Amino acid sequence: MYRSVRALVVALLSGALVAGFLGQIPQLDILEQSARNLYFHVPMWFALMMGTVISAYHSFRYLQSGDRLRDIRAREAAWLALLFGLLGIVTGMVWARFTWYVGSGKWWNFDPKQSMAAVLLLIYGGYFVLRDSVEDPDTRGRVAAVYNLFAVVTMPFLLYILPRQLPSLHPGGEGSPAFTQTDLAPAMRWVFYPSVLGFLGLFWVLYTQRVRLSWIRKRLRREPEL
Amino acid sequence: MDWLAGAWAVFRNDLRIELRTRYALNALLLFALGALLLILFAVGPQPIPTRVQSAFLWMVILFAAAVGLGRSFVAEERQGTALLLRLNTRPSMVFAGKLLFNLVLVGSLGGVSTGALLLLLDVSVARPGLLATALGMGVLGLAVATTLLGALVARAARRGALLPVLLLPLLTPLLVSSVSATQKAIQGLPWTEAQDELLTLVGFVGATLSAATLLFDYVWAD
Repeated sequence: MYRSVRALVVALLSGALVAGFLGQIPQLDILEQSARNLYFHVPMWFALMMGTVISAYHSFRYLQSGDRLRDIRAREAAWLALLFGLLGIVTGMVWARFTWYVGSGKWWNFDPKQSMAAVLLLIYGGYFVLRDSVEDPDTRGRVAAVYNLFAVVTMPFLLYILPRQLPSLHPGGEGSPAFTQTDLAPAMRWVFYPSVLGFLGLFWVLYTQRVRLSWIRKRLRREPEL
Repeated sequence: MDWLAGAWAVFRNDLRIELRTRYALNALLLFALGALLLILFAVGPQPIPTRVQSAFLWMVILFAAAVGLGRSFVAEERQGTALLLRLNTRPSMVFAGKLLFNLVLVGSLGGVSTGALLLLLDVSVARPGLLATALGMGVLGLAVATTLLGALVARAARRGALLPVLLLPLLTPLLVSSVSATQKAIQGLPWTEAQDELLTLVGFVGATLSAATLLFDYVWAD
């Protein structure tokens, strides 16, 4: 199972990279060649969403059961959410620089979605600071899980409600969050969807491996002779 | 113990300890007034746009709350009274009592800061009702978040600057909506213009209050 998913991820992402950088893309107004970033920037945010949902789910189950493995799963999913979020912000900044702010040469301007995404990363940063400040493992797990679930409750406001009330250049701001014809030409779907699958698969591969690694590390710390 | 009586007892206890020294309240108000005066000196004598006025007000309230609140749980842990409280009351009573106490603190903080800002900047508010509503909702959300996070921070061994780090990013939605609603109140726009902000505030306060009520049991229980 794991090996076949890994092989699929490698194939999908290699395909997306080659097609993304070398393939033909339809001419879209304003976006032009930068439209290629769609294949990377958007799937990274999908992976972040997957990370937040998985992390919150395992935090919830940890509060129910107190099983240490749930805590590890919640932590690793949050760590990967932070990683994909950082990548998403960087790709988004580059994209914004060469489309929205091309005349002004700005790297960062007050775009609601961009700024709220940065706040989301701060929340996950706070999650790890909180984890590091508690000594006792049981208390740490519980405190971190409570903070994680409390943060998840505020995330819809951050990511979906406020960006729709503020003026933004980002697609999906007003009305339907789906892509419009100006953002995604039909031909691009053939690279975009495999790329989304590839990034979600990459998330899964990294997530399962990191969880196993932390589990082994914890076992080794308890029984060093193993 | 009756639930209401228990929650009221927790609140009365905190209030009585606070009134004996007035430490938290005085620190909070002095911090807010000091920050406001500092901002005025830094900006200098020039007309300030309404957006910036309301931004100043909420930044001062938010930072004062982040620095000055959350001591009540830490005090319980430090004095060793937390165990007694756990034995004698249910978690929800403690949460309600502490929330009420924080509400009193943040409420006076919000009231005094707003009064001071309006006086010092010579602002006339065209819609006091809208301002009071925005202030009330903001204060309520702030009190809910500081109560839950204060209980979390009290469990941590290294506390330092933990509360601001946890609190400030979580309260971004509250800040954005309250600043915008306050600006509209100062400008005197009709209530319907501020309905987006007010509805967001209601939703935010409702969601955080429900989540905090449910989650508090897990922080408090040993």
